[in-house]
Amino acid sequence: MANQKPLLKAEDLSKRYEDGVLALDHINLEVRGGEVYCLLGANGAGKTTTINLFLNFIPPTTGTCYINGIDVTKDPLEAKKYVSFVSENVMLYGNFTARQNLDFFAKLGGKRDLDKEAYYQVMRRVSLQEKAFEQRVKNFSKGMRQKLGISIAVIKDAPAVLLDEPTAGLDPKAAEEFLEILGELKGEGKAILMSTHDIFRAKEIGDRVGIMKEGRLVMERSREELQYEDLVKIYIDYMKSEPLTA
Amino acid sequence: MTWTIARKEIVSNLVSYKFFIVLLLIAVLIFTSFFIMHRDFKSRLSDYQVVRPKPGDPIALLPPNPLSIFAKGLDEALTRSFEIGVTGLTVRAGQKSGNVIFSFFPTPDFLYIARIVLSLVALLFGFDQVSQEKERGTLRLMLANDLSRAKILLGKWLGNFLSLAVPFVLVIALGVAFLGLDRDIRFSSAHITRLAVIIALTLVYIAFFLSLGLLISTLTKRAASSIVILLFIWALVVFIIPNLGTLLARQMVDVPSVKALSEKRQQIWAREVLLSIGEGGGGGRGNWAGHIRTISEENDRLEEDYRVKFNRLVRLSKNINRLSPAASFVYAVTDIAGTGISEETNLKREVVRYKNSVVQSMISSVATDSKAKGYPAFGYNYRPLPSVFAQGALFDAAWLVFFNILFFALSYFLFVKYDVR
Repeated sequence: MANQKPLLKAEDLSKRYEDGVLALDHINLEVRGGEVYCLLGANGAGKTTTINLFLNFIPPTTGTCYINGIDVTKDPLEAKKYVSFVSENVMLYGNFTARQNLDFFAKLGGKRDLDKEAYYQVMRRVSLQEKAFEQRVKNFSKGMRQKLGISIAVIKDAPAVLLDEPTAGLDPKAAEEFLEILGELKGEGKAILMSTHDIFRAKEIGDRVGIMKEGRLVMERSREELQYEDLVKIYIDYMKSEPLTA
Repeated sequence: MTWTIARKEIVSNLVSYKFFIVLLLIAVLIFTSFFIMHRDFKSRLSDYQVVRPKPGDPIALLPPNPLSIFAKGLDEALTRSFEIGVTGLTVRAGQKSGNVIFSFFPTPDFLYIARIVLSLVALLFGFDQVSQEKERGTLRLMLANDLSRAKILLGKWLGNFLSLAVPFVLVIALGVAFLGLDRDIRFSSAHITRLAVIIALTLVYIAFFLSLGLLISTLTKRAASSIVILLFIWALVVFIIPNLGTLLARQMVDVPSVKALSEKRQQIWAREVLLSIGEGGGGGRGNWAGHIRTISEENDRLEEDYRVKFNRLVRLSKNINRLSPAASFVYAVTDIAGTGISEETNLKREVVRYKNSVVQSMISSVATDSKAKGYPAFGYNYRPLPSVFAQGALFDAAWLVFFNILFFALSYFLFVKYDVR
């Protein structure tokens, strides 16, 4: 059951880029601890922009993002203490081993006194093969890199997790394993916001699912509501519908 | 956090083949340079032993400077033989390098290697610092933590600087230790101090190119674009500006040629000899002492006029060239080594002073019609380090530091606005 306090919150969030493109149009969303929120949408719908705004990679045009109640624009460094991030297709440091990569990002995440075994445990937890622990990452498959990416998020142990299309390009088995880990994180009470194209997995893991189109959050449904509705049909209907007027 | 990033950069360099190739290159170049320049120094030292003036000879001649092994600069000009005569100074070749290959290629001293190769190596370490992190997605991962961009930039700079500086200093120390085994070189504690300052300055110079690489890396989104821009700037800084400055200065200041000066001296000499013969009738020399004084004074005026114009040209060239930090580096290092323009100017001043005392002695002997038994020996002390700094090296060093701070600050301001998406 999700906790009451929203760990991730977007309030009236908009982003217009310098070229005039409105990437995000007055978005409001909340993700509580122990909850997985899946953002669905076509390319350019504004999913990644939302995550970029949460991480303060870009400033919002209007509105505010909060992580654990902290205004991301006003105090980004404090806010980022409470969030971990898994991005799509991260290459990591190819010349480093999996453990060295994990060690570096763990230290950046504030975990300074971990020993080798602690890193191994996290990598085991994300089902990375034991023999890969001390191998250079440049020889890893995309699935292995994504597992290592999530182990970086796991080791930080932040209450909120942002995932930007983490299952893109993964084979079904790797994607399934990935969702299992996500389920575990949810069980630990973490607030998870995941952007994805994968409608089936969004339905499977999401406590709430939001559909984005042209920068707007056009629909939001809870897991309970989706028991009585066909998410695939809703999604396709939204995608086929007329463009939204500005 | 800064040290975590710096450490990551160091480890990243240590596990890359690029680092070992660069390290090998630096070691080979520096050891080769020390070997060649050591041989050159020894050969010039042998020449000096042969041509060194005997007591009483009116000749000003310096032995080669041991620090010329590292920065030869104007050492061949400084160790020329200045012979004093009634017509003024006659400059002989002195201890010229016996290696004819030096005529075809630039002198392969440490200064040359630092100016050309180390600057390029520093650029290779800096050109992809930000753009590559962006390309592989690690910049977003880093910035997803409570880590300021200033710390990331400083950590990257520090890590790469140490990756370059530590092996570089070790290689130099090893090379100098080997040179120290040769008893003919005799590095004094003053030489070692100067060498330490030169190495420190070289580190500042390397740091400048690292900062430049970082700056361009924050301006570009792709490492490939970064390296092309940097190579252009490198050529501009290392080759084009220093040469262009000298050419421009020559257009702006008119300095008479050495040949014209020599002809003018001959005319004065001939005129005074004829006047002397006229005064003395058939076989006499007339007031020869007075004529020597006139020759000396007129030559001094000619020299002074030439020196003023030449110094103006040098000053202007230096100031234009200082637009390039590479030029500032060369001026500072050669001044500290005692092989620079300021040292040569100082030496010439001392030689003129010596010449005046010798000429005075000649005039006295002519006036009293006695044969001079010998002239005072020429003595020269290289300017002490504080004077070297006060007379320009400090400005050049500070100028290099300023470029470093400027480029790092610019990198920071650009990186704060850098689009990490």
